[in-house]
Amino acid sequence: MALRVTQTMMSNQLIRNINNNMSRLSNWQTQLSTGRVINKPSDDPVGVTYALRYRSELTANTQYQSNVDSALSWLEFTDMLLGQVGDIVKRAKELTLQGSTGTNPQVAMNAVANEIIQLKEQLVNIANSQLAGKYVFNGQMYDRPPYPNLGNAGTTETDDGAVYYEVGIGTDLTINVTGNQVFGRAADQDNLFQVLERIANALLNGDKEGAAAEMNHLDSRYEKVVSVRSEVGAKTNRVELMQNRLLDLELNVTKLQSKTEDADIAEVLMRYQTDENVYRASLAMGSRVILTTLLDFLR
Amino acid sequence: MRSTFHGVETAKRSLFTQQAALHTTGHNIANANTAGYTRQVVNMVASRPIEAWGVQRSVVPGQLGTGVEFSSITRVREQFLDAQFRNENRSLGSWTVRADTLEKLEAILNEPSETGLRTVLDNFWNAWSDLSKDPQSITGRKIVVETAIALTDAFNHLSKQLNDLSNDLTEDINIRIADVNSKLATIADLNLQILRIEGLGDNANDLRDMRDLLVDEISKIINVRVVEGERGYNLYMGNTALLENGTIQNLDVASVEAARTSGDLDGGEIFGLLVSRDEYVANYRTMLNTLVDAIVNGEVTVTIPAGTVLPEGTELNGVVYTGANRLLTSDLTVTVKGLNQLHKLGYAFNDAGFQPGIELFTTADGSTTGITSENIRVNAAIVADPSLIATSMRTTGTPEEVVKGNNDLALLISKMRDAKFTFTAANAPIQTGTLNDYYRSITGQLGVQAQEANRQTVNLSAIVAQIDSRRQSVSGVSLDEEMANMIKFQHAYNAAARILTAMDEVLDRLINGMGVVGR
Repeated sequence: MALRVTQTMMSNQLIRNINNNMSRLSNWQTQLSTGRVINKPSDDPVGVTYALRYRSELTANTQYQSNVDSALSWLEFTDMLLGQVGDIVKRAKELTLQGSTGTNPQVAMNAVANEIIQLKEQLVNIANSQLAGKYVFNGQMYDRPPYPNLGNAGTTETDDGAVYYEVGIGTDLTINVTGNQVFGRAADQDNLFQVLERIANALLNGDKEGAAAEMNHLDSRYEKVVSVRSEVGAKTNRVELMQNRLLDLELNVTKLQSKTEDADIAEVLMRYQTDENVYRASLAMGSRVILTTLLDFLR
Repeated sequence: MRSTFHGVETAKRSLFTQQAALHTTGHNIANANTAGYTRQVVNMVASRPIEAWGVQRSVVPGQLGTGVEFSSITRVREQFLDAQFRNENRSLGSWTVRADTLEKLEAILNEPSETGLRTVLDNFWNAWSDLSKDPQSITGRKIVVETAIALTDAFNHLSKQLNDLSNDLTEDINIRIADVNSKLATIADLNLQILRIEGLGDNANDLRDMRDLLVDEISKIINVRVVEGERGYNLYMGNTALLENGTIQNLDVASVEAARTSGDLDGGEIFGLLVSRDEYVANYRTMLNTLVDAIVNGEVTVTIPAGTVLPEGTELNGVVYTGANRLLTSDLTVTVKGLNQLHKLGYAFNDAGFQPGIELFTTADGSTTGITSENIRVNAAIVADPSLIATSMRTTGTPEEVVKGNNDLALLISKMRDAKFTFTAANAPIQTGTLNDYYRSITGQLGVQAQEANRQTVNLSAIVAQIDSRRQSVSGVSLDEEMANMIKFQHAYNAAARILTAMDEVLDRLINGMGVVGR
């Protein structure tokens, strides 16, 4: 069909084409200035659901990392305390050995007994340690001291509740050890406070055999402290592993997010250049075509 | 027998006719940029020759022509293109409005961003996770309250924006209806004028242009069908007569809604506005309410750890926990109804006394039922006293006291981030899934709809532009053509004038130069 072309058609078409070119440029410009391919859901409906998922995963990941940090500081604090407890038990063993053997006069035994009483007080202090206001050895009741009275520490039991921290999707970790585990229950033969009291009493009474008899209780308690400590160590390792995994995950998800959302600047720039040339050409063409009519050539 | 002044008459007719053609050319040029203008042509015909058949005819050989005259001035227009244009224009009108609404909805949802609902929801879960590490922390509790308020604010705000959008659309519908009605009145008026003029045998070209332009404009607002009857244009929307034999049936809100239901209204901006308001906006509001309902009351399976002491009289899965039963000796997996019921399974830290948790969310007036995105609020009691937030599920001693270090409930709520809720609404894009899944599918659905609407709009505007081009190609004024015509008519005029001069000289010779022999 031989099309009849009129000036209005030409200028309408020119306006339309310039508009189209402009909207393409504007699209590239949005991508360049935000650095993202997906700026609204309709840009890529499938991509946007992934973008939202990655963003949520990253937010959760940050939270888990912060939880892991808290868990680590709790575990490290416990480890330090258990180290101190171990040292005290070792010292108690030395003292008991020293007091219960040889031919110590009563004065010397009294001195040893005093030191052991001091050690017990020190132990109760350690057992009542707080991390950021929390009594770490009192299970879930960490809002109150596990051993409020120095005198009856041996017959006091702590709460057995486990404190869980959320360190990943569906992964909760117990991060506390209770006073019962470390120092023994009231009924335990090797309840550390009771053992120390008995040793001190025996020494004060000059009962060397009685003191010596407590040695194996000290030994068994020492074993337990060490085993609890190694458990804490193992847990620390696990949490550190978790920390690394979370960091890896963060990296991976960030990469995925970037792949989904981020604009390839080089590519966008190239396309922008191409479309800009087209735009310029359409403007230049327009300025020539719509200006002239037959009128210009009539005399 | 020819008359003496035959040549003068012929030249005169020619002068008049060429002049009329020149005037029409001038008219065309003047209206080159007038919307809806159709170029006009003067239809010239050779006028009737003088020698009719009959006994009286002269014996002069040949039929002597008497010059030119114009029989009519007509528009160059193709009705078929008009129908095609109007048909596509209604779809363009509808999709333009729909794309526009969906773009606004995208702006309202504002995703992907760090300020949308997703962020607020994530922050809410994070606050619970933080609180689980330190349930006693007053700051942690306040942060939970603040993020919960941020969440309800976000819902309220979204709901308000949807309402505003819905109201704007209604307003737009009213404006468009008024527009159509006023155009119908004008068309009825033009029908009359055209009828009068054409009754006298002329073509009412310019009035017809105006009438066609008005129909074009209406075709963008509603689907319109034109039937040219005895009394001008009759206009129909589907089977509904809008203008029939001079009787106008004005549109109103009720009639367009009824027409949409009956299928008579199936295109144009009003149709697009109705779809936008009653489908898009309404659906997204329902989906948002479903999300709110899921958070507050949605069924979700939780595992309550052993050692939990459930509040007296708690009913779970049909079992009422009371007295010694309240202490769970093993993990209990049950379905609870949303965060509100979950929160009631724990105990507040209220200094005033031992107290189980209360509803986290209420309506604006404190009711715990009928919570929607519009009226969801954080329970005012909790806002006033964050110690009412329950994190612990364990009690001890007589009288009962809450175990403050137990963080089971805080952990359970924090894990709702990844818990699968049941979405009951009929139009829910997914039936079960995490809250984030649901929100993502809303966003994805909006994206797909907006993309489709944008695509349709681009396609249809190309089609409409193409049809309009073809119409312009037939009917539009080409200045080049008019210039060429002008020269043609001008030359013809000049030549006719020259003929007249020649006739003048002939007559001059006849009258003044004859009968003077020998003078």
